Amino acid sequence: MKKGDIVIIVSVALAFVASIVLLVSFSKQGNRVVIKQDNKIIYDDGIVINNTVKTEHNTITIKNGKVYMSHSDCKNQICVGSGKIEKKGESIVCLPNKVTVEIK
Amino acid sequence: MFAKQGNGRNKISIKQLTQYALFVAVCLIAGYLENLFIVPVIPGVKIGVSNAIALMLIYRGDKKGAWAVNITRICLSSLLFGSPMSFLFSLSGGVASTAAACLISKTKNVSCVGISIASGTVHNIFQLIAAAFFIGVGIIYYLPILILLGAVCGAICGFLAGCFTKFKIDKIY
Repeated sequence: MKKGDIVIIVSVALAFVASIVLLVSFSKQGNRVVIKQDNKIIYDDGIVINNTVKTEHNTITIKNGKVYMSHSDCKNQICVGSGKIEKKGESIVCLPNKVTVEIK
Repeated sequence: MFAKQGNGRNKISIKQLTQYALFVAVCLIAGYLENLFIVPVIPGVKIGVSNAIALMLIYRGDKKGAWAVNITRICLSSLLFGSPMSFLFSLSGGVASTAAACLISKTKNVSCVGISIASGTVHNIFQLIAAAFFIGVGIIYYLPILILLGAVCGAICGFLAGCFTKFKIDKIY
């Protein structure tokens, strides 16, 4: 084992760690918004596209890479209160109206 | 006709040519046996024992020979066992790894294992870049595991190349 070997091994290990960090931070960024009503997909599009989706009882707003429930006629208003989501895997659920918004 | 070949500037001697051809043949057999017997951890991953031979040539200072053996080996093995796609992948990986090994071997303080680890890692990274280009960017998620595997396989190859280097091939003739 020579000096140069240790340098190479250390730099490869660094590259390994860096790639993991890079990919983890990269993968958190969601890229699609999927809205389901009664478990059926009614909307599936990129998160970068600003849009307002109206279902029978709810209004979902997609703006500047963030998604939130802007209106719901349900009683508990948990979905409206759950705020904005932007990362992969996050979701907003409106149980009374059976609407789910998920970022994939 | 053949006797003159050794005198030309860009020509290599018959003995050397035979040696290179022998190396290519050994590489091909090694690659084939590897495909047959070693169960891959991840589909498509193999140690790449045949790279050890090119590495040995580089470590001995014969960079031209290493390039010749590696490129010929890649072309032939793709022709025999692979597909056009696998040819492009192995070519990108092979060229990148040989270039990396050549560059690193210029520095004095590196052993065969070190060169091999670096070239194995570079091989996998460039192969992944080629794959991302042809298949899609999504494949980039394999990057960490490929870096790790490249280093491990490179270490094995480097150890083998170190063993080959001690072996005096010229004495066979």
